[in-house]
Amino acid sequence: MLRLTSVAKFYGERLVFKGVDLELRPGRVLMVVGANGAGKSTLLRVMAGLSRPSAGELSCSLDKGQMAYLGHQTFIYPEDTALENLRFWTGLYGLGLGDEALEAALERVGLKKFSQERAGHFSRGMAQRLNLARVFCIAPRLLFLDEPDTGLDEASRAILHQEIERAGQGERSVVWVSHHLERDLAKADEVLHLDRGRVAYHGPVAGFDASVMAGASTC
Amino acid sequence: MLTPALRIASKDLRLSLRGAQGLAQTALLGLLLIFVFSLSRKPGDPVPALAAAAIFWLSSLFAQVLVFNGLYSLEENNGARLGLAMAPMPPQAVWLGKALAGITLLLVCQCVFALAVAAFLGQSVEGSPLVGVAAVVTVDVGLAALGSLMGALASGKSSRESLLTVVFFPLIIPVLLAGIRLLEGVLTAGEGASLDWLGMAAAFAAVFSAAAIVLFPHLYTGEE
Repeated sequence: MLRLTSVAKFYGERLVFKGVDLELRPGRVLMVVGANGAGKSTLLRVMAGLSRPSAGELSCSLDKGQMAYLGHQTFIYPEDTALENLRFWTGLYGLGLGDEALEAALERVGLKKFSQERAGHFSRGMAQRLNLARVFCIAPRLLFLDEPDTGLDEASRAILHQEIERAGQGERSVVWVSHHLERDLAKADEVLHLDRGRVAYHGPVAGFDASVMAGASTC
Repeated sequence: MLTPALRIASKDLRLSLRGAQGLAQTALLGLLLIFVFSLSRKPGDPVPALAAAAIFWLSSLFAQVLVFNGLYSLEENNGARLGLAMAPMPPQAVWLGKALAGITLLLVCQCVFALAVAAFLGQSVEGSPLVGVAAVVTVDVGLAALGSLMGALASGKSSRESLLTVVFFPLIIPVLLAGIRLLEGVLTAGEGASLDWLGMAAAFAAVFSAAAIVLFPHLYTGEE
């Protein structure tokens, strides 16, 4: 599905990371961990095709339309209603979903009764749930998560995590940057630990010693 | 590319008209400019057609800068730019969508400016109105092609917003000159030379549309 061979990223002369080798297979959840500035989000952007690697090779068997990204930012247009937001994004993906399907996606994240409200009136949690509904509609085969639960209340976080667990089932793969190892690690199949620009660990969750992260701020 | 571009244009127009204060401010700035220039003549004295045409296009240029700053800022607040970059469409669809929305908003402003030029600068159309419309639309296509490209360059960083003005104005001089001469021809019925200028405006639009198709992906999805 996605393969990185000796991938490196520099900004000018500054090394962000190097020597990243991995192969992501269908149905796997890969968690990317590391301290502040370790290059987790940059790696995610490289994997998503949003940033070119400075060295190495990246190959992906999926089209752009089969991938989606869920991060801190909600991608909403505040002046549009929740339904108009979904209509726009699904239209760009050429999905041709009717309002019933869009409202079903809103219902799944608990926003159906707010479908005609302007998204600018939503709380941070509601806006992120609307973003999640966008991802449901796209139904990607590869989902990139960049600390999507930042700033969410407990209820919104619970909905998000329930859906992330569902997302990691079947043929769908997930690459997930999280800073809550103790809570999220159990939901992953593999871990990639970035430390000072290098891969400190890549393998099954069972073999990862999470205590090496103790004391480090992993945001 | 056309279908996503039309979706982006439609969304941009909806949002621009829904939060109409941006469009109203743009139109008011142009009106103010025309009004201030009208104070430079004595009551009853006509403003030369060439000067009136220059004032019309100057107002249009300021409107153009504000319109494209506004259109590209729609994506900045909640990171929707990233969503557009990930969508399955060529990045140039964003350029085209913004250009289509921009030209529509600019034409709305120019309808107001045209009335103001007639009222405050004492102008009337002696030549063919059809040539006038063709001239304005052709010049606007060039302005929108370049404006949408420059908007992408300026968006994302507040420090870059002034860049749009600084880079935009020198590049726009050829099409601005064509617009002024064309409009003067329409105001005075001197259409002989106008068609050459129309060709120049069309060539400008073609050159900058081609440049945008090549450069836009690097500007919009490129690395900071």
